[in-house]
Amino acid sequence: MTVSLYQTGVSGLLAAQQQLATTGHNISNVNTDGYTRQRAEQNSALGLYNGGNYIGGGTYVQDITRLYDKFSYKEQLLNTSNLGNADAFDSRLSQLNEIMSFSGEAITKSVDQFYQSVNGVADDPSDLGLRSIVLNQAEILSSDFRSLNQNFDELEKSINGGIEQVARKISDISLELARINETILQAKDLTQAGQPNDLLDKRDQLVTELGQYTKVSTVEDNNGVMTVMVGQGTTLVAGITPLTLSVESGDPDPLQTQLRLVGRNSTVALNGAKLGGSLGASFEFRDENLAKVRSEINRLAMAISATLNNSQSDGLDLNAKQGANLFSDINTTALQESRVLSPSNNGGDLEAKVNITDVSLLPTDEFEVRYNGAIYTITNMTTGESESLGGAGTGTHATSFGFEFIEIGGVPANDDSYIIRPSENSAASMQVTLNDSAGIAASSAVEITPSDHNVSAGAVTIVDMFDPINAQAGMPMRIDVLEDPLGTFSYTITDSANVTSAPIAYTPPSQLINLPASPATATFQVEISGKPSGSGPNAPEQFFIGDAFGLGNSSNAVTMAKTQELGVANGGKETFSQSLAVSTSVVGAKASSATLIAETAQALYTQAFNRNQETSGVNLDEEAANLLKFQQAYQASSQIISVANTIFDTILAAVR
Amino acid sequence: MRVSTAQFYMQSASQMSNKTSDVNEQMAYLSSGKRVLTAKDDAVAFGTLVGYKDDLANIDKYNRNINQAENHNSLQEVLFSDAQLILDTVKQDMLLANNGRMSDEDLQSIASQVRNSLDQLLDIANSQDENGDYLFAGYQTEKEPFSQQVDNSVTYNGDAGVRELQVAKNIKVPVSQSGEAAFNKIANALGDFSATYPVTPANLSGIAVEQANVTNRSDFNASTTPHNYTFTFKPTAADLVVTDNGGTPVFTTSTYTAGQSITFDGIEVTLSGNPLPGDNFTISQEENISIFSTINDAIEWMEKGSVSTNQEQHAVDYKTTLNQLNSVMTHISSRQVDSGIRLQVIESQRSRHLDSQLYLESGKSRIEDLDFAKAISEFEQSKIALQASQQTFSKIQNLTLFNYL
Repeated sequence: MTVSLYQTGVSGLLAAQQQLATTGHNISNVNTDGYTRQRAEQNSALGLYNGGNYIGGGTYVQDITRLYDKFSYKEQLLNTSNLGNADAFDSRLSQLNEIMSFSGEAITKSVDQFYQSVNGVADDPSDLGLRSIVLNQAEILSSDFRSLNQNFDELEKSINGGIEQVARKISDISLELARINETILQAKDLTQAGQPNDLLDKRDQLVTELGQYTKVSTVEDNNGVMTVMVGQGTTLVAGITPLTLSVESGDPDPLQTQLRLVGRNSTVALNGAKLGGSLGASFEFRDENLAKVRSEINRLAMAISATLNNSQSDGLDLNAKQGANLFSDINTTALQESRVLSPSNNGGDLEAKVNITDVSLLPTDEFEVRYNGAIYTITNMTTGESESLGGAGTGTHATSFGFEFIEIGGVPANDDSYIIRPSENSAASMQVTLNDSAGIAASSAVEITPSDHNVSAGAVTIVDMFDPINAQAGMPMRIDVLEDPLGTFSYTITDSANVTSAPIAYTPPSQLINLPASPATATFQVEISGKPSGSGPNAPEQFFIGDAFGLGNSSNAVTMAKTQELGVANGGKETFSQSLAVSTSVVGAKASSATLIAETAQALYTQAFNRNQETSGVNLDEEAANLLKFQQAYQASSQIISVANTIFDTILAAVR
Repeated sequence: MRVSTAQFYMQSASQMSNKTSDVNEQMAYLSSGKRVLTAKDDAVAFGTLVGYKDDLANIDKYNRNINQAENHNSLQEVLFSDAQLILDTVKQDMLLANNGRMSDEDLQSIASQVRNSLDQLLDIANSQDENGDYLFAGYQTEKEPFSQQVDNSVTYNGDAGVRELQVAKNIKVPVSQSGEAAFNKIANALGDFSATYPVTPANLSGIAVEQANVTNRSDFNASTTPHNYTFTFKPTAADLVVTDNGGTPVFTTSTYTAGQSITFDGIEVTLSGNPLPGDNFTISQEENISIFSTINDAIEWMEKGSVSTNQEQHAVDYKTTLNQLNSVMTHISSRQVDSGIRLQVIESQRSRHLDSQLYLESGKSRIEDLDFAKAISEFEQSKIALQASQQTFSKIQNLTLFNYL
């Protein structure tokens, strides 16, 4: 048998045709996402051995391959996840930054205006007009807090919505991937080199999409079936078996929704924050950044309410009544109970609440109370600091964090734990409860006047007021302080019935005294300071304490106005607006670093994308050149047939 | 490097969108004139900025208080200076009345003139501010602080409260003076005691208390109360016997020399005049005398008319009242000075606030305000970069081999 020139020509024609088709496929998919350019691999047909020589016998297309680099693809996938994470985090934090910067400014302004109105009352305490401005400003202040809190609620809701949507999307992708795996399994003929290129592209494209939402890793078996793992290695698609994601309400906080991986027979909880990708960013942002800022704002609302309510209760209003709460009480039963969250897997039926005792000590962190069968231990979840609270069944357990843990009923089971959020709901529940402007307690109840005969630099000042009404009723009183003998100070208290107590020792530089003295219930507290020595054994330094109530008395309003400049929050270090500014700048700093991280992630992604495109992308110029090349090959092959034809004709003509 | 077509388009698009967002951002800075719009723009500066804004708002608050405090204190200063003028007239009348040639009618008419002055002073003491609050009522601003009784005496219905306003973080300035401090607590010209001289029979020698002070309060407090002492000259053999409220002698001397100081129970008394046997008087504790009772004493003295008997005692009474009137005048002018000093404090505080306001404003502006020259040049730069990338894109995007096929 001789070489068939015809066949050689036809083989060239066919090869060129396939190459043209592949080039056309590349050109038409130039804008297809995830498309990998293909190439028809041409091989020469094995020659025919004839007379000691191999004579070439044309060509054939061995394989149509994807120009696919597994490593650069994986690199791109990893960077897609990182970019998804960084972008989502950046956009959420920027959103929070704007909320805090603008709503925060509004709150600072209303705090300012509120205090200006209190200051107005300090100047003219009997003016009802000025007093009602205080109430209006308080209303604006509390509504600013509520609306900021609402913003947080909206943000949380939108994140939860986003999580749900993404979970659905991931479930869809999982189903689709399993289906493609199945198709590949069926379509692939192990004995042949050919690959279902476009199906593989489609699968990679789905994996890339998945990569935006979570971290993804893939393993391919010999059959080309892909196992897809998300997050830290949780299998989402095992060959042809898809698993789906479902969203369930969080435990113990139902608003902190959680993800579950649902298989045919079982479900597994997923740690959302560890998923990576945009989903991981959503969880991390919601449970850490947003929760932190929210609790800071809650604490601020609580500090403002507590401070002003406290100030109110120290004074007397226009009707000589003790000042009622300006803002809603921070320790209502409902609020106290909402601060304790009990996870559903607790075995016991303990009900508990948290009572705030000192706002200035209150951290913004979450706490966990754990019962080990004998005692409760409270742990700050952020700092890890922990304290023993003593045994169960003892009712109130004091902590050093400015609150106390109170058992209401039931008993805990061994290993039960409770989440405590001390300032929970404070901003949302902040309301102005005072509605009569005469109720602003501008007047102080009692006042101390030193005697004109005092000779030394000692002083007695009121430091705390427990019960202004009874303090006022117990007036007048007198405190006599004497140094006799030299270096030994003592004081006596003379009550309204003119009964003088026995001398009590006083140690300079200062000492606190509850008045009236025990066993009577103390109504206020004074402080002796300095060295009031008196002018002789019978002539002590005298301090008269008298009723100070009057429509023109604004001492308490002055004190109230001064709370604007006092450090109240965070261990008494920050004023209200400073506390807000600290929260805002922390968010700002995080947002700006998130932007930087997002920019870096974008740059890395672009590099990986470019590397991948370098191998797999379609270049139209190249394809155009190929088009010409293959067209010419086609024409040339046709020419071979024509030559073969001529040869054949020649032979025919010779024998004719 | 091989560049895919999709890559070229994607990169051009993303670059242009980056540049557009740059331009947009710079436009936001330019149109607001601020460098720090949100905390993200500069977290550190944001914290400092809030500090500045806080301080500025506080200064605003203090300035408002300063204005109020200034108004109140200026009003008081004016009122005290009016009171001073009235007291001048009273004193002149008093001097006039001491002229021995005055007839009873003359004295009566001077007395009624002084009574007018008393009414004027009462009116000043009952002044109200622009809100209808009584200025000198302490905390009881709704009550008229001073009311005149049928016996012409004046009682105080207010309290000792002094309203204060915060004018700086640690400075409070009083904006009111209680009526008690302003008109009632006037130092007794004699010291801590007032003297009562017998009416019938009156002392003949013109013996008078010059000073009576507590010098040792410890001894004083330990002695019999109430602290009323009777001085009698030559009751028996002794020159002078002082008895306390219970009739117990606390001081006896047989060698009294005129002007010597008499010390007992922690009290030191000096007398003026040469006593005659049988002269006596009592002293009782009275550290402060109200302005109104002093003027009432003056009126009472005038209304006695021209006295023919007991001239000596009449002169002693005149002197006592005149001395007390002088004490009143000193007191009122010291009150006036007090208001003036507060005004000074307020004024100096105001200028300190102005200084710190200036400094805070400039600090705030340094942090917050945009450097326009720099910002505009940056804006121009971004604009040019955007333009360039757009032009490059449009030039390159139609370069393709297909054009030549």
